[in-house]
Amino acid sequence: MFTDKIELKDVDKMDPEFRDLLGRVLTIQADCEIGGPHLYVEKMLPAAPTKLDQLIIARTAAEEIDHFRKVARVAGDMGVDVSFVLSQPNEKRFVDTFRGLITTWEDNSVFGFLIDRVGRYQLEEFYDCSYLPLQRILPDIVTEELGHIDYGYNKTRELLSKGDEQKERVQRAIDYWYVRALDMFGRSGSKRAERYRYWGLKRRTNEQAREDYINEVNPILLSLGLKIPDPLKGRRYV
Amino acid sequence: MPEAAANTEQLDEHLLEVVRALHGAVKQGVSHAGDPKIVDPAIADCKEILDVIMAGNVKEWLN
Repeated sequence: MFTDKIELKDVDKMDPEFRDLLGRVLTIQADCEIGGPHLYVEKMLPAAPTKLDQLIIARTAAEEIDHFRKVARVAGDMGVDVSFVLSQPNEKRFVDTFRGLITTWEDNSVFGFLIDRVGRYQLEEFYDCSYLPLQRILPDIVTEELGHIDYGYNKTRELLSKGDEQKERVQRAIDYWYVRALDMFGRSGSKRAERYRYWGLKRRTNEQAREDYINEVNPILLSLGLKIPDPLKGRRYV
Repeated sequence: MPEAAANTEQLDEHLLEVVRALHGAVKQGVSHAGDPKIVDPAIADCKEILDVIMAGNVKEWLN
């Protein structure tokens, strides 16, 4: 296992595999950061239930754009240009979850509650990672992601208080996003994930991170009176 | 020291300005949430800024 801590000035001296994996993970992270606003801004900014919610959507998008900026800077400084993800269509996003469009308030709320939480998990993988410029941008990003998760959770809870019909709509959104959330952790036993861990770029295996997520989310779903979806139904990466 | 990708600095500066403008508009709207004369233009400003970012014409921004 590689345990050194690397600064920008040392990147050129590193093994090509380290540089490739670092460039790859930064590109995917940048794509996910900007992929969120591309999912919800178009339909949800005009359709949010209150003006305050419209403003919170705009603020959330601003924060995600800023996260993209910070990740793009870390990548750009080491010679990796990730700006192409700003203009690519949703269908070409690296992660399936970001391919499409959010068109309902239930989906928007559950997206924050479940998918931004996966985002937090992905960022936590870089805690104490071997590349210090990446490690340094994490605290502010994670703090803002926590705000997005809380907002999604509170809006989901608010919807659930509006009666059975609304609860069914929320459950449908949960059923849709839950399996996508689990897929976002990648394949169990992934060889690439092992190399990320070898180079100190990630902490957990895909299956460990997914298990931690399930252990966190399932009790929350139950406490809200929601059913836990079948964790295998519709999954693409098991 | 590795060579930075082209436009790294410019893109960073541009997006930082965008983010600040968005936060400014949001703050204006939130602090006057009950006044449509202020909150509606604030939301419109956010939409206008975000539409440009979502369109993703990076070359245009940097020129």
